[in-house]
Amino acid sequence: MTASEGAESLVRRGTVITAAALLGVAGVYVLAWGYTPIEARQGVAQKIFYLHVPSAWSALLAFSLVGIVSALYLWLNDPRLDRFAAASAEVGLAFSAVMLTTGPIWAKPIWGTWWTWDARLTLTLFLFFLFIGYLALRAALQDPGERARFSAVIGILGLLLVPFIHLSVYLFRTLHPQPVVLKPSRPSLPPEMLRTLLISGAVFLLLYIGLVTIRYGLALAEEAGEHGDAA
Amino acid sequence: MPPENAGYAVAAYIVAAVILLGYTGTLLRRARRAIDRARRA
Repeated sequence: MTASEGAESLVRRGTVITAAALLGVAGVYVLAWGYTPIEARQGVAQKIFYLHVPSAWSALLAFSLVGIVSALYLWLNDPRLDRFAAASAEVGLAFSAVMLTTGPIWAKPIWGTWWTWDARLTLTLFLFFLFIGYLALRAALQDPGERARFSAVIGILGLLLVPFIHLSVYLFRTLHPQPVVLKPSRPSLPPEMLRTLLISGAVFLLLYIGLVTIRYGLALAEEAGEHGDAA
Repeated sequence: MPPENAGYAVAAYIVAAVILLGYTGTLLRRARRAIDRARRA
């Protein structure tokens, strides 16, 4: 199989997974609006939670994997790890964009402000900017080895921010709600809300897998285009 | 009585759909172009 055939096969597989996941997202929309109850204190705006929280989970998973895989790259020097890190960073930014737009839209009616510079929000915004820098660095460096090494260091720095973001609601005085699922005690949600949130989490995870598969195939195709389509 | 704020939820759901569909479409277009270039290389 040539490199372009390999890339094509990955993009095809990723497209099927992504299409299934997007159908799943449509299903989450139906569940959120037709199945889950209206929260008594927050009203309908609480339904933003079914998109905001899973997109935050996916973004943090994506950026954590960039860091782990980048550390492995510095150790093993395998270009597949660098390709995966770049794919995961870009897809993570897409999920972060969902997180960072749906969050303020929820905050306006609930907190009375679109944004507040509290620890959770500020650290998340820093993480977003860090990974924009990561992709800018990758675009600026021409030498593949140099690009992979330098961006791996940024990827590892991003991983260091992730636990602070998760724990920021415990470590600092913050307006952001504390975790309702990812915490030591049992999830504190009514069953319809919890079920919808977990389904949404699974669907966003599938979407992450689909998009990363396409993005990995794209990186393979770009390399084949630059260096010739070797078998 | 829950507060009347459905407009914010509708806006958030539309914004999320635009970002996810927009990124997926862009990614697929970039992939198709890169595969065409790789085939010609």
